[in-house]
Amino acid sequence: MSQIEFHQVSKRFENGHEALRDITAAFEEGSMTFLTGHSGAGKSTFLKLLLCLDRPTRGQILVNGVNVTQIPPARLAHYRQNLGAVFQDHHLLTHRTVFENVALPLRVVGLKEKDIGKRVRAALSLVGLLSREGLYPPYLSTGEQQRVGIARAVVTRPKILLADEPTGNLDPALSRDIMQLFEQFHQVGTTVIVASHDRELIETMDARIIELSHGAVVRDEAEYVSGELPTDESRHVEV
Amino acid sequence: MSKSKGSRSKGSKSRGSKSKFSLDPWPRNRSGLAAGCRDHLRVARETLHFVSARMGTSLLVWLLVGIALALPAGLFLLQVNLGAMTDAWDGRPGLSVYFQLDASDPAIKEVVETLRGDASVHGVTFISQAQALAEFQSYASLTDALELLDENPLPASARAVLEGGSGLADLQRLADLVTSAPGVAEVSVEKTWLERVTEITRVISRLGIMLGLLFGIGAVLVTATSVRLAIESRLEELRVLKLVGATDRQIRRPFLYFGVFYGLGGGLVAAMLISLSLLVVETPLTNLLGSYSQNLELAGFDPSFLGVLFAIGGILGVLGALLAARQRLGNLQIL
Repeated sequence: MSQIEFHQVSKRFENGHEALRDITAAFEEGSMTFLTGHSGAGKSTFLKLLLCLDRPTRGQILVNGVNVTQIPPARLAHYRQNLGAVFQDHHLLTHRTVFENVALPLRVVGLKEKDIGKRVRAALSLVGLLSREGLYPPYLSTGEQQRVGIARAVVTRPKILLADEPTGNLDPALSRDIMQLFEQFHQVGTTVIVASHDRELIETMDARIIELSHGAVVRDEAEYVSGELPTDESRHVEV
Repeated sequence: MSKSKGSRSKGSKSRGSKSKFSLDPWPRNRSGLAAGCRDHLRVARETLHFVSARMGTSLLVWLLVGIALALPAGLFLLQVNLGAMTDAWDGRPGLSVYFQLDASDPAIKEVVETLRGDASVHGVTFISQAQALAEFQSYASLTDALELLDENPLPASARAVLEGGSGLADLQRLADLVTSAPGVAEVSVEKTWLERVTEITRVISRLGIMLGLLFGIGAVLVTATSVRLAIESRLEELRVLKLVGATDRQIRRPFLYFGVFYGLGGGLVAAMLISLSLLVVETPLTNLLGSYSQNLELAGFDPSFLGVLFAIGGILGVLGALLAARQRLGNLQIL
């Protein structure tokens, strides 16, 4: 069983736009994958469904064998605590310091202040921003802000790290730095899925690429062959 | 089943770790009581900081909630003190019997004994004509006029006080008993006064309940509006919190503290307003009660009253916060 499995997942919005069409894909634990495609191809919707920020119209998304499309709202928080997410526009809190921004997920899981300090500094050190912990996000460069966002995403040591256009606002050199960071997390066993339209950049990375177009997979270097829903009932663990 | 070649074909470094078939792969974070208390303390501190950083708004909310609490609480105090005053008014209802000027001593004695012998009577005070005159002279400035009269114009009288628990029916029965007795000129029953005070107390009580309800709703709405504004100003933070896995309870928690702080602050303002009102009315009230031979002893404004005032403030604040949170956070979209 793969860590993440999409089984004939479709998403149609209320306005009739079909963002995803019959997507079937599997992601092994510890793998690194790039989702690419033109703007509106369905990359962000793909990640949103995985984050349970939205529900698919049809199909199943299994994570560790659990159909996350049916997780009750009360349990979603605990599911999300096990994921890390990075976005193009960082979603940093401007009135909180870099330290406080990165510490946010740790406070949510109820860690002691002493442990929070250690973990936050370790995460900031990993992204090269330890010296900036007392600054507020508006005083950081765009690249630094993105790295704070990454530190916040990995500070809980998630098993799965998702990134939606993390280099969208960055110049090529900074983009490469950011991608190297994701590569580092992948190296230590984190499953990394990055949505990016920067074909030039991702082609230089040593990772699987899934290309989406108009909501459908048009290229997958790791074709999910069967394309059928699993028959083994043990894989359908409802929560 | 799945066959994933790509995860190995190009740079995939699958660690091939054990699959996790579990009913609960994402268990609830059970970090214990200590962690819960830590989080409550942190949230309370942050909320207090937020409230104090917006002192202008907070003062306005406290004032509005305080006024809403002070009015019904003030009426409650008035009701309590009216009740205490009627109790202090010799404690019990009674009647006064005025004898004819030419009533014989045996006739007077018989009436007094009749009153004393009744089971519902607590005590009888007899005032002779001479005592009445002496009392009148000690109070009134009509001494000179009285001296012009040949004889004492004041009648002898007897005041009967009923036992506690006796009602207006007992009073009426006694009055009927002595009215027709020889030598009795007039019987004055104090039931009218009692009835008035009882009715006034009842009106104040009901008014207090109505105002309490109306102003309570007002306090809840004021708090709800203020908490709603606080939620709006922190929407981005709430979205991020939800994204990183905060539970609905954690998202709601700061705003419940908002409600508590607004409610408690309102309670404090209400206590101050009531104290101020008592200070303002103290002198005229002392004079008024003095004219009825009563001392001003305000009842009810004690620590337990203040405790209840703060508790009600806190509860109304939490209700307002819950209302706002339910309205605004119920369908909060993360992205």
